[in-house]
Amino acid sequence: MKLLIVEDEAKTADYLQRGLSEQGHSVDVARNGLDGRGLALARDYDVVVLDVMLPGCDGWSVLQALRAEKQTPVIMLTARDRVDDRVRGLQEGADDYLVKPFSFLELVARLQVITRRGRAQEQSQLRVGDLQVDLLKRKAQRGSTRIDLTAKEFALLALLARRHGEILSKTVIAELVWDMNFDSHTNVVEVAIKRLRAKIDAPFPQKLLHTIRGMGYVLEAREAKDVQ
Amino acid sequence: MRQSIAKRLAALFAGAGLLVFSFNAAALYRVLQTEIDQHQYAQLDTKRRLMQVIIGRCMAPDKWAGVVAKFDAVTPGDGSTQFWVTSADPRFEYGNPTAFLRNLMDGKPGSGTLELEPGRVQKSMLQVIDANQDRPAVRMLVANDSAPYSQTMRAFLTALVLLSAAGVAVVALLGHYIARLALRPLGQLSAEAHALSPRNLSQRLWLSQLPNELADLKNSFNGALDRLEQAYSQLEAFNADVAHELRTPLTNLIGQTQVALARERSADELCETLQSNLEELERLRVIVNDMLFLASADRGATAQECQPCSIAQEVAKTVEFLEYILDEASVTVQVEGNAQGLIERSLFRRALTNLIHNAVQHSQPGAAVRIVIAEAQGSVQVAVSNPGAAFSIDNTERLFDRFYRADTARKNSGENHGLGLSIVKAVAKMHGGTVFANSERGLNTVGFTVIAA
Repeated sequence: MKLLIVEDEAKTADYLQRGLSEQGHSVDVARNGLDGRGLALARDYDVVVLDVMLPGCDGWSVLQALRAEKQTPVIMLTARDRVDDRVRGLQEGADDYLVKPFSFLELVARLQVITRRGRAQEQSQLRVGDLQVDLLKRKAQRGSTRIDLTAKEFALLALLARRHGEILSKTVIAELVWDMNFDSHTNVVEVAIKRLRAKIDAPFPQKLLHTIRGMGYVLEAREAKDVQ
Repeated sequence: MRQSIAKRLAALFAGAGLLVFSFNAAALYRVLQTEIDQHQYAQLDTKRRLMQVIIGRCMAPDKWAGVVAKFDAVTPGDGSTQFWVTSADPRFEYGNPTAFLRNLMDGKPGSGTLELEPGRVQKSMLQVIDANQDRPAVRMLVANDSAPYSQTMRAFLTALVLLSAAGVAVVALLGHYIARLALRPLGQLSAEAHALSPRNLSQRLWLSQLPNELADLKNSFNGALDRLEQAYSQLEAFNADVAHELRTPLTNLIGQTQVALARERSADELCETLQSNLEELERLRVIVNDMLFLASADRGATAQECQPCSIAQEVAKTVEFLEYILDEASVTVQVEGNAQGLIERSLFRRALTNLIHNAVQHSQPGAAVRIVIAEAQGSVQVAVSNPGAAFSIDNTERLFDRFYRADTARKNSGENHGLGLSIVKAVAKMHGGTVFANSERGLNTVGFTVIAA
């Protein structure tokens, strides 16, 4: 994916560029509004990540100039969480909105949501290692062993399987499985993962559900030496 | 515009005085004038009757000389009363009436005024005396000079105006004095308020001898000072708490990073440090986000996407979310009642999650948490009760304070940073509701209200 990051804060721009490049994206960085506008108009990006407070010309002007010519998806970044700002951003054609401090994982998740829009429908049979998840019949099995799951456990597994190989934060999991889009200060997700793990991983030698400390969880088949 | 109350009152008194004095003066003037007019006409009438009788008796031209002599005798030397007689026969005339007078005397008999010289108005009476034998009918005009009366009226008017003006001035001065006298406690109050200093927040206005109106003001003012002092000390405590809350993760971050960098480390060890750092940073992020949320509620932010929802349904959703936690803690939940509330779903769930989580944290295994939804007077109440040690009345007030923990020994867990119930309060406020807490018969209840749909 070809991305443009318009951000004047050097550290933020650097880690975003590094992190997103390592995820296999091609990333350009503009350090001020004028450069950002020039690049966004001159080249075709898949997504533009646009800070609101910029020297030169601010994020709103960049967005307006861009929308006058193109429909490139835009994610706005801001340090102020004001509903007015959010409404304004979405009205003026931004596709999404992130408030600082935001987590890198959240940005990655939002990028994926935007680029996934309009893509062909997902397959109903998912496979991670020897784990098979049937989204239509709502059944899971490892090898030939059926695994009995509660509805919530299945919803959690389905999410992890659909986005396998991708680290999902607790906040994202709470939002997508329980429709709770706030930091809940509870350990619901930890407990849920623990229970799911007891069913899909504990009885089997190869572990699929991994904890990435401080970040979240990922479902993937790893080589034996990688297992923590 | 800044204006002295005493001066304004004095001006108002003076205005009122002017009104009253003017009215009185006008009435007096009017009464006197009427009286004087009546007096003048009465005088004229006497003379008119006398002469009417005398003329009436005259029946022939040769007797007219006697009538003329009578007229001359009755007319005073200063000319203050004058007589004229006209008739078809020039022999029966008196006073050499001019053409102007003749014309006037042809008019309707009765009382009137006469102005022979400009500015000199005379009261007059016209009388027709019927013919008697040889004498034809004559017309007689009697006029009285009212100049002395006019002078009296003028002097009286001048006196009235001067007296009224003096009266108004006296009223204004007295009014000013009275107002200042009455406002003296206000000045004292103001001086006291001036002396209040921000360095001593417990200072109050103490004047005891105050009129009722000002006593109310003093009480309100002292009430405001009470609230200010409370808010101020809360803010101070809050700042200290924030610093404390941020200090722990920051200390961990700095310390473990320094330890990690102090010598060569394997990639695994560095990875371990980074992960631990990330956990601390996540804690900081959550605290900062919650503080920003509370700050926005303080600034008066309101729930933007409110819609009518079944509260029981939202409670069920939230309980479902917390199912694992309830299960782990061996706590059951019992939901009673339902109502339609006007809520923004995610905010409502956030508040409810905090409430239930709080109840679970303060429950023993096997306990039952009870959630009661009730509608009353346009608002929907959601109350979460759990059996537990009673919190004191003092604690009830402070329960919703930021960083307040009922158990003073802080549980230093990243999940529980002491903002949970203040977030409930903020959410209630954003929905136009309130929070409440009570402790009865071993059952602690904490809840909030939203507006009914």
